[in-house]
Amino acid sequence: MHVLMMILYAAIAATVLATIDPRTETTGLRVRHGLKMFGAFLGIGLLLSWVLFPIPW
Amino acid sequence: MQTRDDLSDDLAAHFRARVAAEPELKPYPLPRRILAVIAAWLVPGAGHLLLGKVGRAALFFVTIVGAFALGLALHGRLFWPAPADSPDAWIRFDLISVLWFFSQVGAGLCYIVPYAIGLGTNPQPWASTYEYGNAFMFLAGLLNYLVVHDAFDIGAGRKR
Repeated sequence: MHVLMMILYAAIAATVLATIDPRTETTGLRVRHGLKMFGAFLGIGLLLSWVLFPIPW
Repeated sequence: MQTRDDLSDDLAAHFRARVAAEPELKPYPLPRRILAVIAAWLVPGAGHLLLGKVGRAALFFVTIVGAFALGLALHGRLFWPAPADSPDAWIRFDLISVLWFFSQVGAGLCYIVPYAIGLGTNPQPWASTYEYGNAFMFLAGLLNYLVVHDAFDIGAGRKR
């Protein structure tokens, strides 16, 4: 459930942020930028969860 | 343009040709710009629709309204600025509830309509999806502030 929510959250945020980014003027650039951002959100989320997992609080 | 190598020369020529081929950015008339900003706040994507950006309008509508609706479906709560715990406090409101309200109300009618009909106004913190729901509604409102800003930029002729 938690991972599914994270994927949905990352997909929505990446879609909107990539579309309004002033550096992406074409649809192709927006799609590429959005996919990169989506991957970064998921990767950083998983990395943080892995780093924080041993902490007991 | 003098550049350092052949590749840069090619790229420079490409960008010069692209700039020459594309028409100048022009600001939209002021009333339309103001209307677009207000519409963008009220209905996510409506500002872009008024400015002729149909694809982006549809995308913003689906993602932002979808995120807010998902938040409500997950038993998220609509926040309203709560009074401060202490009557002597120099700020009359609980600041965190003001911030939560601010982030949700960015979604415009997505917030106002459910609030008016009492949907999401009864907190259900015991629901396992309560925090997920809140997070999606905060996301929807905050993203819509950026979309409103984007509509303003397009209307002002700063971007396409």
